[in-house]
Amino acid sequence: MHNQGVINLTLVNLALAYGLVLLATGLAYLLRVGEARQMLWASVRMGLQLLAVGYLLDTVFTINTPLPVVMILIVMAGFSLQVMGSRIRYKMPGFYRIMGSSIFIGCGAVTFLFCSLVVGYAPWYEPRYLIPLAGMIIGNSMNGASLAAERLAAEIRERREEIETAICLGATARQSSETAVRNAFRAALIPTINTMAAMGIVALPGMMTGQILSGTAPAVAVRYQIAIMCAITGAVAITAYLILLQGYRNYFTAAHQLRERQN
Amino acid sequence: MMDKKTIVDNPIMVSAEHVGLVRHDRKGEVATILADISFSARRGEVTAIVGPSGGGKSSLIRLINRLDDPTSGKILLDKEDIMHLDPLALRQRVAMVLQKPFMFEGTVLSNLQRPFLFRKEPLPTAGSAAVHQVMELVRLSHDLLERDARTLSLGEQQRVNLARALITEPHVLLLDEPTSALDRPTGDQLAATFHDICTLQRLSVILVTHDLRMAGKIADYLIYLEGGRIREAGRPDDLLTNPTSLELRRFLAEPEDREGEYHA
Repeated sequence: MHNQGVINLTLVNLALAYGLVLLATGLAYLLRVGEARQMLWASVRMGLQLLAVGYLLDTVFTINTPLPVVMILIVMAGFSLQVMGSRIRYKMPGFYRIMGSSIFIGCGAVTFLFCSLVVGYAPWYEPRYLIPLAGMIIGNSMNGASLAAERLAAEIRERREEIETAICLGATARQSSETAVRNAFRAALIPTINTMAAMGIVALPGMMTGQILSGTAPAVAVRYQIAIMCAITGAVAITAYLILLQGYRNYFTAAHQLRERQN
Repeated sequence: MMDKKTIVDNPIMVSAEHVGLVRHDRKGEVATILADISFSARRGEVTAIVGPSGGGKSSLIRLINRLDDPTSGKILLDKEDIMHLDPLALRQRVAMVLQKPFMFEGTVLSNLQRPFLFRKEPLPTAGSAAVHQVMELVRLSHDLLERDARTLSLGEQQRVNLARALITEPHVLLLDEPTSALDRPTGDQLAATFHDICTLQRLSVILVTHDLRMAGKIADYLIYLEGGRIREAGRPDDLLTNPTSLELRRFLAEPEDREGEYHA
């Protein structure tokens, strides 16, 4: 990749862009939407947060050693766990342990394979590749993971009769929760499948457009996009599978008894 | 009804010894569900556990096939502590029919095959003796085998439910309010088959019900449970004509009122 094509944005340019936010705020104020103040505040927050991240990444890029890169990825995963924790109402028993380990293994394995085998750059921690690629994989897996966990809890709640009937007829915990697990896995993967199917027709994906903007030939950018979508699909599937594999067990005792409702 | 001598001769299949069940609710408070429950259920007999709702009947019957475990005391199956048995093997010997019949997607036949599927055993065919026998026991026509189980009436579904529990030839059959989801005539018709099944298959049937009238008709032994304790137990004739406990007398005095409560 080369950077010659990119025009730098000065602070003056940014101020001009913020003029558009002011316009939007003015419209909201005119229509008495009441969100004018929040809009202004949100845009300021966005600016400050992104400038800070840009500064941080710049530093990490120049230092170019593994530790800060790994730290950033850990913080990213930590935040994603926290977001999931706050978003999901019915948490399965052992929620954070299961989600954390599944995301770590699922995303870790896929990111490693993708970076070393598919893209094949060196050194492995090269922040320019590892941070955005791992970020996309973690972000998407997080969504898949929440959907899997949420759906599993709902399925087990709604299927108590079915599950206990199966247990009475001699089913193991795994056999009795088969339908619940299958539906949860499907729920986790559907958004990714839909995104893949609509790719390039309904929307031009962010990474691809970003690369094109920074001067990459569209033919190359498209290949990256295809590859990352495949990696995301793999990561979502592995993460969801690990969550469900560990998750369903938590609803049962060793004697194949469905536990009392916990939350 | 059998005479006293035969009752004594029938061997004990299930016995509970000082069984207690305590639960912690979400606030961490302790609730006693069952306290000091001891009784025996014999082979070839129907043992009915009767009492008002919330009295612990269902909680008690669920302990016998280990859907739940007691917090104190023990339950013996043929003199063996059920906690020492493999739970899956236990549930093969102790079948259970839940209150609402849950039909798995598919035909009646595929529902009857489920227990074999779970146990990874060869599936019985529509023409097999096993299928033939259970359909006859629960008085369902053979023509129903290929029907979608979920399109059957509730009464028919409960019969399939019963047949599905009997097809693996259990020694004990647990029935948790098996007729309460049905209307009275349908429920009575179904209840009439329980005793036949019990004597024909030499089973020990343990039935939980709020319906004293039904229990009085089909039970060989009756246990009255209220507030998590056995208040009175004995032969239905004695118990219903000569109740000694205050609780059972009160329950007998207003059965109609109470039934409305349960059907709701």
